[in-house]
Order: sequence, then structure tokens, then C-alpha cells
Amino acid sequence: MVNGHGAAGRGGAVQGRGGAVRGSWGWPVRAELRKLLSLPTAWVGLVLGLVAAPLLVFVSAGGTRKAIEEGFHADPSDAAFQPLGIGLLGALILGVVVLSSEYTSTGEDAPGARQLQATLAAMPRRGRLLVAKGVALSLLVAAQGAITSVVTLTLSRMVLGDLVPAASPGRAAAVVLYWVLLGLLAYALTLIFRSGVVTLTVLIVNSSVVSVSYLLTKVTPLAAYLPDIVGAHMFLHQVGDVHIAPVTAGVVMTAWVAALLILGGWMFRRREP
Amino acid sequence: MITIEGVSRVRGRARILHEVSFEARAGRVTGFLGPNGAGKTSTLRVLLGLDRAQGGRALIDGRRYVDLDRPLTVAGALLDGSGAHRARTARAHLRWMAASNGLPKRRVDEVLELVGLAGEAGKRAGRYSLGMSRRLGLAAALLGDPPVLILDEPVNGLDPAGIRWMRAFLRDSAAEGRTVLLSSHLMGELAETADDVVIIDHGVVKADGTLAEVVGSHATLEDAFLARTAGEGASW
Repeated sequence: MVNGHGAAGRGGAVQGRGGAVRGSWGWPVRAELRKLLSLPTAWVGLVLGLVAAPLLVFVSAGGTRKAIEEGFHADPSDAAFQPLGIGLLGALILGVVVLSSEYTSTGEDAPGARQLQATLAAMPRRGRLLVAKGVALSLLVAAQGAITSVVTLTLSRMVLGDLVPAASPGRAAAVVLYWVLLGLLAYALTLIFRSGVVTLTVLIVNSSVVSVSYLLTKVTPLAAYLPDIVGAHMFLHQVGDVHIAPVTAGVVMTAWVAALLILGGWMFRRREP
Repeated sequence: MITIEGVSRVRGRARILHEVSFEARAGRVTGFLGPNGAGKTSTLRVLLGLDRAQGGRALIDGRRYVDLDRPLTVAGALLDGSGAHRARTARAHLRWMAASNGLPKRRVDEVLELVGLAGEAGKRAGRYSLGMSRRLGLAAALLGDPPVLILDEPVNGLDPAGIRWMRAFLRDSAAEGRTVLLSSHLMGELAETADDVVIIDHGVVKADGTLAEVVGSHATLEDAFLARTAGEGASW
């Protein structure tokens, strides 16, 4: 035998370095965090997510102030939270690249080779791998969302002053949850489509250019419960014409994301890489 | 020790592997020989749990690869390409792989040194030459100092010095007691490195034994191979 490593492998955890829990779940999560943080595209998502919303506070300050003064906002507290609906672009990018990077060809000399082979060599249990990716993604997006919310809401108070009421911590937490769920939604869709381009196109076009989901709400109020728009009700009081309670919105969005993750995971496990 | 037992794999209507059985033993280099498309890579992918077999078992030390807790410490695999995302540096690639199996960070520098990439570890994998990509793939396979090595066409893309290095490395690994299974379509190469030879063609094992047994009364391994795989010209 060589160095007795084979025997150590069967034990599940390295000698003196934590128990079975750390071995089974901690290592894959750490590996996935490392993977994300050493990927340039992921940093685009991280930075974009951190700066977009605060920047928007400044850019839109004039318009927002005018809108509030002229009574355009039925609920002025929304004004401080609205920019946070844009910064989620970063969460979407992270949710996509956590998986799409696995499918990128590793080089011209081996067109069929992808990182996924190395990933499955290191972490062959697919279910565990997908959970580790989801956890790593959620941790990053939550950190990003928490920092961005605090910065954005503080800036809004500074720029708009007493025009907006002080933000409640509960609503700020809802923003973080919303970001995490959207990141997971992007991850689930990438699992289903196996392509980052398709997922990003669908999500970005739908959230910034023309929102098909929003247009559908003009046809039926039920469309307000679609996964990409229902979540905003968690922290905004006025979204479209339909009123949905924050908790209801959270539950509906979580259910959507969970269902899509289960479908995507099932498809991932069936496929041969 | 690698055990392949009656592995069959069908894809669509095509029969990729049919009742493939052989063993690769510890302390020996087992050469898996066959023309392109014969089923070598498929067998290795089934062994690593990447592809599914409809029948049979493929085991490493009696266990399926997907059931291994820290697979990198049990078996190291080198498949096509480096396995690294092209935007990631070689060191970053090996670091996440090490983290995934609870291996210490210093192993990363050790294997980079071992395959001769220590000086280029900060370069993005996408800028590596073919030979460097293979070395990076090998470094990843060696991270957990595994007793079993599984290598698909390991000398592909290597320059003469690299081929000689790989040959010595594989021999040394077997001498240290490791199980070495490598696939190749290069007969001359295998005749120089392998102790045991398995010949596969059209998904069926045609010969299995020590190098001397497989060569038998033929003048060379190449002659033995062509005699068993329906002659020259069949695969191209």
C-alpha cells in the first residue's frame, strides 16, 4: 500500500481534522466557495451586485425626490428599497456561473473536456455536490445582499433625508432573502438549461428590458405569482397592481425555487457529463 | 486494485461495451489497448462513475468510485484536457480540488513541483500548452497521493522529453506498489511500460494477460494486436 492513504480515505475524515460532518459537507462547500472566488466572472457578479444599487441611489436621487414630493409614491418607504431590485443582477450572475463554469470547454486542444469531469472526480456524489454549490452560492449572495442593503438604505437616508422613513430591519432582511432566492433561481434554471447564456438572457431580458411576467399580469392577476416578480412583494409595498402580503410572497417564491431546484437536480443526476 | 466485471454499456442503439471484464493489479502497470473508438475511454468513464453501465460492476479496491468518501486519496484520474476552467490559475484549480477532499494546501505546491509546473502555477489554465495541460491534469490526479492511478492516453500531446518522463513516472508508481491502469492506442509506448495488457476492440475484450502472454508467438505487441483486432486498416 502507498502511505496508507487508501485506508484513511475509508474513514471519511482526515485524522484529527474535524468529524464526519465537516468531512461530508464542509469540504465540498469550502471547495465550491474557493471555486467561485477564483473565477473572474464571479467577481463581475460580486462587484456589480455591490455597487449597482448604491450607485442608483445617487443617479435617481433627483427623480425620486420629485416623485415623492409630488405624491407619486403612495408609499414613500418603497423609494429607498427600489434600487435594491436592480442590484440583484449580481446575484443572478453568481447563480449562473456557479454551474455554467462547469460546462465551459477547458481549451481548444480538448474541446470535449470540461471542468465538470474534475469536479465529479473530486466530489462524485452528485446530490451532495449540488447542495454544496447551493450553500456556497447562498452564503456569498447573502453576504453581498446584506452589505448592499445596509449601504443602499443608509445612502438613501442621507440623500433623500426625511422624505423616506427609516428602513425596518425586517424589510432589509427580506431583501437579502430575495437576493438569495433569485441567485438560487438562476442556479436552478442553469441546471435545467445547462447553459449560462440561455439563463442569463431569459432572466435579464425579463427583468430589465421587457418583463414578460409583468405584461402577463395585465392579462391575469395570477401572473403576479410568477417566480421572478412575486419576490419583490417581500420588501416593496407597491409592485404592479396586485397586492401580495410579504410573507405570502416569500412562501410562494421559496416554493417556486425549491420546485425548480428539485427538477434541475433530478435532470443533473440523470445526465452523463 | 481495479476490478471490471461484465460491464456492458449501450448508448441509443450502439453497443459501446459488451461484458468487459479484467483486473488491474497493485504494483503493476496495466495497459488498456485498443483502436480509437474501441471502448477504452468509455470503460474508464464507467469506472469513474461519469457514465452509467447497463450491466456489470466496476470497482476500485472493492468499492464503486461514487461511494468513496475522499476519492482523490483512493484513485487519481487523468482524462482528456486539464480539467481546469480556463480562466482559473493552475494553483487555484488545485486548491479547490484539495479543499474538496480535505487535503492540506502544501500538497498543491508539492504536486506542482512534481509535474514541473511550479514556475507557471500563477498562469491561467486557458493559456497553457497542450503538454502543460496534461501535466496539470496529472498534478490533480496525484493530489491525494492515491494508491490507484487511472490514465486515459497519458502521453497524448507530450513532447519526447515529456513522454520519457511519463514512462519513468508510471514505472516508478508501480514500483512503489500503486495500481496503474492506462489506456493507449500506441503499441510501441505500451510495450515499453506495461506489465499486463488488455486488448479491447468494438467494446469486447480480445486479449488479457501479461505482456509476454499477449504477445505470444507474434513478433511484436503490434502484430499480436492487429491479429486480434481483425487486421490493419479496420479502424481507419
